[in-house]
Amino acid sequence: MWGKIKNWLEIRIGLDGLMKTHLTEYRVPKNINILYTLGFVALVFFSIQVITGFFLLVYYIPYSEMAFKSVQDIMGTVPYGWLFRQMHVVGSSLMVVVVLFHAIAVFFMGGYKKPRELTWIVGTFMLLITITFCLSGYLLPWSQLSYWATTIATTLPTAFPYAGEIVAKLMKGSEQVSGITLNRFFALHVMLLPLIISVLVGLHIFLVRRIGISSPPFGKSPEAEKPWTEYRHVSHPDGYSFFPDFVLKETIMVMVFCAVMFFFITFLPTLLLPEEANIPADPFKTPAHIKPEWYFLAPYQMLKIIPNKFLGISLQMIIVLLFILWPFLDTAEENNLLKRPRLRWLFFVSLILWMVFTIWGKYS
Amino acid sequence: MRYILPLLLILILPPASQADWKEQFEKEFLARPWAGPQVPQDVCIECHSSDMMKPEARDIPRKWETSWHYQNGISCHNCHGGDPKDAENAMSPQRGFVGTPKYAQVPEFCGKCHVGILKNFLESGHGKALKSSGKGPNCVTCHSAHDNRKASINIINEQLCTKCHPYERVKVMKQALFVTENKMNEIDKSLKELKTEGVFTEEEEKNFFSTQAQFRTLFHTEDVSLVRRQTDEFVNKLDQVKVKIQKTFEELRFRRDFSAFLMMLFVGMAIGFWVLSKNPKE
Repeated sequence: MWGKIKNWLEIRIGLDGLMKTHLTEYRVPKNINILYTLGFVALVFFSIQVITGFFLLVYYIPYSEMAFKSVQDIMGTVPYGWLFRQMHVVGSSLMVVVVLFHAIAVFFMGGYKKPRELTWIVGTFMLLITITFCLSGYLLPWSQLSYWATTIATTLPTAFPYAGEIVAKLMKGSEQVSGITLNRFFALHVMLLPLIISVLVGLHIFLVRRIGISSPPFGKSPEAEKPWTEYRHVSHPDGYSFFPDFVLKETIMVMVFCAVMFFFITFLPTLLLPEEANIPADPFKTPAHIKPEWYFLAPYQMLKIIPNKFLGISLQMIIVLLFILWPFLDTAEENNLLKRPRLRWLFFVSLILWMVFTIWGKYS
Repeated sequence: MRYILPLLLILILPPASQADWKEQFEKEFLARPWAGPQVPQDVCIECHSSDMMKPEARDIPRKWETSWHYQNGISCHNCHGGDPKDAENAMSPQRGFVGTPKYAQVPEFCGKCHVGILKNFLESGHGKALKSSGKGPNCVTCHSAHDNRKASINIINEQLCTKCHPYERVKVMKQALFVTENKMNEIDKSLKELKTEGVFTEEEEKNFFSTQAQFRTLFHTEDVSLVRRQTDEFVNKLDQVKVKIQKTFEELRFRRDFSAFLMMLFVGMAIGFWVLSKNPKE
């Protein structure tokens, strides 16, 4: 039966050739490491979000009067609804973690350098879209936690005059977070953002395959042999096969991250859904200890401590812009971060500062 | 540097033309609870905490902060009326200020919210004594005024009751209450536990609260035989809540076990694939 299907496809689309070109005979660098699997893990986690999101969508009611109740029904009444919601909640945070790790790994290994500037830029936009996904999805349960965390997050841009106010109003659709905001965030979360990220994922994968996978900067790189004056595909004829060797490594990482996801669901089920997540949104009652989501804690804390708020928000925007345009700012030929003391210093100090601000934001 | 300077200009120039953003941001972000500890905007507390108050009146905010009312968001103006946002008119009768009630009027003062209890209290021996002679106990005699605690069976104790009368009759009442009160304490504890486990307990809480309130209202009649007659009915109602809570706990255990199983499954698969990657030919 399988043989017949294969033959049917072979005649029509040349399946064998396709498999050889893109899987078995496609080679990845011999010195490739486990960090190179993070892109695939992010893709799998995005798929998990799509699948669990679909099941939640079947029962969710995007109306401020009903949203909270429908989410509680998913958690309590719908068979295995709790599992899908927990996977969606924990999976979203893990997806941010994986995408961040992926960006950090690419930065560390100089994967953003010529000819991969475009791949980097598309990737950074995907990171921003992922965070926008989380922000828009966070409001949907319409709980005290989601309502007030969104209020903080939508207030942050107002530190930037004129444009900030417009952005905040565009997000909220009213003076305060309201049912209109819920509808906007819902439409964004289930329609526009999935469309944008699907296009970006497609473009990202196309660029990776079209240019070729970059080699880790530790050792001899085939790319350094010739200057980039015209397009050429970077191949690794002496490398490992993509399938099964590299796919196996990717699968191991996916399994590890899935195990981490279920670890959180089993042992820390209330980490991302604390008590405030079980209280319906009340615009007239501000909880005493409300914080934005963990990935907004660093900018939130920065904004709190920098005396000049405009400087604070401008600084954050500059950091984001520098991050996106970094391949054009760093034009040095050396890929190995360990051989570049100043960049190494910048890399580690930025990472440590981000972590410090996040922890500080959490406990301040 | 040639990139950073234009970037800075793009970001700095437009804001310079906008004057009121700073005030707006301070109002919306910095003056809110998430920006740090906030100064309470309550003039009652401000005045009563200041040195111009007599020591006994100055102690009220501190006592109130330890109270069950405080924990449930009941503030000065909810009982005493007035306007806590306006210092000049805070104690204006036009803003509903009623001040401190006279001793005999305390039940009506508290009864504005605790309606059922007021009715039963006024029909009880305590209430009748208060109304006839003005010397019987009122609400604060047992519950205290500003530092009131969550009502419990422990309020009925020898030290407090023997200030006015012998403890023998009270003991009989306490015994009649004991089983139901114990059950209520257990349910209360379980509901708190469920909440910390992330379970939405609104329905169970409502059922429990209503049963508990009815039972405690009944107690204020001081009619032991009435309490005994109705105990079975209350115990039945509480048992129904308890069964629901137990089912929720069982469901939580199942969820934990199921997701632990999935976790182990993925750990196992990760190990399996890792072994396979070490022996690719197999």
